Amino acid sequence: MIVQLNHLQKKSAAGTTQEVVDTFYSLLEEGHIEQEQFARLRVQLDWIQYRQNFRECVMATRATSDVPEQFSPLEVHIDTRQVTPGCLREAILRTMGNAGDPPPPDPERVLLEDFRSFRESIAWGFNRLYWHRLADWEQFTGRGYEQALPGGKSDANHPAAVADCVADFWTLLRDLENRKQLPEEIFVMEIGVGMGTRSGLWLDRFHALDRERGTNYYPRLKFLLGDYSLATLERSRPAVKEHLELCSFVVLDALDPLKNLAFLRHKILHIHLTNVYDNLPDEEFARRDGRLYAVQVRAYIPPMDAQRISKELEIPAAEIPRTVNRLLEGGPDYLSDRRRGVAFWQEVWKAMRLEERLVNLDDLPGVSIPGDLRASQLEDVLAQAPSDVRFHLSSGALESFHNTLPLLHPRGFLQVQDIFVTHFNEYRLGFHGPGKLDGSIVNWVNGALLREVGERAGYDVHFAPFHYRKGSKTSILYTTQRE
Amino acid sequence: MTLSILPTTVVGSYSMPGWLERLKTEFYARRISRRDLDEIHDTAVKAAIKDQEVAGIDIITDGELRRDNMIDYFAERLPGVQIDHASKKFHYDFYDSKVLGKLPTAPLGLVDDFKFLRANTEREAKFCVTGPHSLSKRIRNEHYPSEEEFAMDLARVMNPELKAIAKAGARFIQIDEPNYSGFPEDLTWGVKALNALVDGVEAKIAVHICYGNRYGKPSWEGSYQYLLPGILEAKVHQLTLEFARRGGEDLQVFRELPPRFELGIGVIDVKTQAVETPELVAERIRKALAVIPAERIFVLPDCGCLHLPRDVAFAKLSAMVEGTRLVRKELKH
Repeated sequence: MIVQLNHLQKKSAAGTTQEVVDTFYSLLEEGHIEQEQFARLRVQLDWIQYRQNFRECVMATRATSDVPEQFSPLEVHIDTRQVTPGCLREAILRTMGNAGDPPPPDPERVLLEDFRSFRESIAWGFNRLYWHRLADWEQFTGRGYEQALPGGKSDANHPAAVADCVADFWTLLRDLENRKQLPEEIFVMEIGVGMGTRSGLWLDRFHALDRERGTNYYPRLKFLLGDYSLATLERSRPAVKEHLELCSFVVLDALDPLKNLAFLRHKILHIHLTNVYDNLPDEEFARRDGRLYAVQVRAYIPPMDAQRISKELEIPAAEIPRTVNRLLEGGPDYLSDRRRGVAFWQEVWKAMRLEERLVNLDDLPGVSIPGDLRASQLEDVLAQAPSDVRFHLSSGALESFHNTLPLLHPRGFLQVQDIFVTHFNEYRLGFHGPGKLDGSIVNWVNGALLREVGERAGYDVHFAPFHYRKGSKTSILYTTQRE
Repeated sequence: MTLSILPTTVVGSYSMPGWLERLKTEFYARRISRRDLDEIHDTAVKAAIKDQEVAGIDIITDGELRRDNMIDYFAERLPGVQIDHASKKFHYDFYDSKVLGKLPTAPLGLVDDFKFLRANTEREAKFCVTGPHSLSKRIRNEHYPSEEEFAMDLARVMNPELKAIAKAGARFIQIDEPNYSGFPEDLTWGVKALNALVDGVEAKIAVHICYGNRYGKPSWEGSYQYLLPGILEAKVHQLTLEFARRGGEDLQVFRELPPRFELGIGVIDVKTQAVETPELVAERIRKALAVIPAERIFVLPDCGCLHLPRDVAFAKLSAMVEGTRLVRKELKH
């Protein structure tokens, strides 16, 4: 049995580790676990960074039967923050089953979907609903989404970071002008505008710098604010009110900006995104014993929560899945009373958990790897990775990245501020996400794969820590033209 | 062999199949032998030739499928150029190559590639060579006092090879100098090196100048205005330029092009997978006809088809041929 400790919370983790080992030994001695099962067990503690997440205290992950049972991966994940005294043995036993047999399905649990890629999970439906009906969520929680961020505000708006970005951009324009290659129209784009604060700061700073240096670039600027929510774009307008003549507000899907903006192919000199990639649909792969597995998930409501929601909102437990679908299709108003609808939404979201299983990729011939990344390239990347590794495929981020790069002017650059795993070896140190950030999903982004996609598209991809705020976990991805 | 009016040709490279990329990279990982790779290249080149023939192209190339990229294929053959063989992660990457002393003269082995092409098609064949300016911008010069002198010496070393290619039957030779567009300030000496390269070469010489196609995207933007008047000093017969993607406005720049120059007009955008219709191709040719007479026009894509999927490249070339036929019919009437 391998025990892996990740995110170390010394007090709870140390105590729990001992308890975990003791528990597994006693289950072995009592015959609840077989010897071969015990030997191939991989127990991970504190694997998820986020306090609000989709896991129960103890969760088992099995592979579908592609290899003889005795060689098949068997993993148990334990979140020590959720461990209460005396609960561990029962929780482990419940998830492990008995003497090698998986546990029977719990009839009290409310399943919201069948097993599928995380990307296809209903969890992302909730994420979409959150952004489309943000005002409803905020009204009933009484706080804005930026307040839900760690630290209560976005690193996107750090004035020093914005000033440095503007200075770099001005230098680029100057260089292009010196080479007589500066286009008549200078296109800049922000994708995922939030309240428009960063765009406003950027434009203020650029205007000031341009005036200070007398270069007269500002009037040639065409600033695009892109977001997939019209309501968000509307909310961003006041922040850029001094520059409205230069601004265009574009509804676009961050997964495919090229779809709406093909006419700007090779024309945009700077594109910036903050905290967008970490909120794009993702899926996960794991390599175990040389085999590559897709991690499939199934959303459900645990029995206790299902009973509570049913009682508080007077919806029979059996009706919860159908009501969830109605909520996701029509928003909280669909439940006749908006307040009740939002309450249901928030309670289901809070209670939702994801069960998971591993499916060998050979059994999934239809699985596609986004971002024009070929399976052979993934193999090349994995050749440098730890032999046993679980990683984000970051399919949404890859797709977005792949569909954004063609918009860049040959000398243009892309900057993405986000939470990145910048090298596969970092997965040795832990696995982060997915977490729940208020009503949305937050997930770390596989920067190593983005680097690979970037290289094949003609861009070198670099990562720099966000040094403007002490303790920030974000990095800045930036591209340079690859020769 | 008599060519129709508005002859169709390609800029050089043809679609690089994913499997070939993979096998090239396998070669660098020493998982397949040089002999196997040569055989694979021969097979791929034959397929590229066949595709061009079926598409109806008048003057074809070998698709440049033996080449990793437009620099290394020559850097590896140039005597005196030192190459760090560990510097390449992917076959398309550039080697870290440098020159530490005066380049000696020796055959480069390009003639065999032309002979292979010649032996495998009945069509007119064109051979493409990266020019000395573009080579000097990528191979690190640690010997010559200036880039210009390095480029001139590259031209000196490569000139006999071009003569040999012509002697082997090449009636069409194209020199690729995309880096002119990135470094317009070099044009004067770039053209001087070009002239030294093609001096005494008995073939129709074209110089291809685009805005870059590395990774299927432009490397620079700007206007062809910078080419004039400097390019008029070039002792070549044809300028082969990119007009489809850039909208054709630059065609006006060449309204006064002296009659001794032909114009190869790019009518296929190779940086998008959207396949042009024959009608659009015809429209682009008609725009060029408003600027320069048909007798001086060659029809081709903006640049090589290297980064296009094979089916898209084939469809685009077919549309180019069909669009050209439409205009040829109009010219007959």
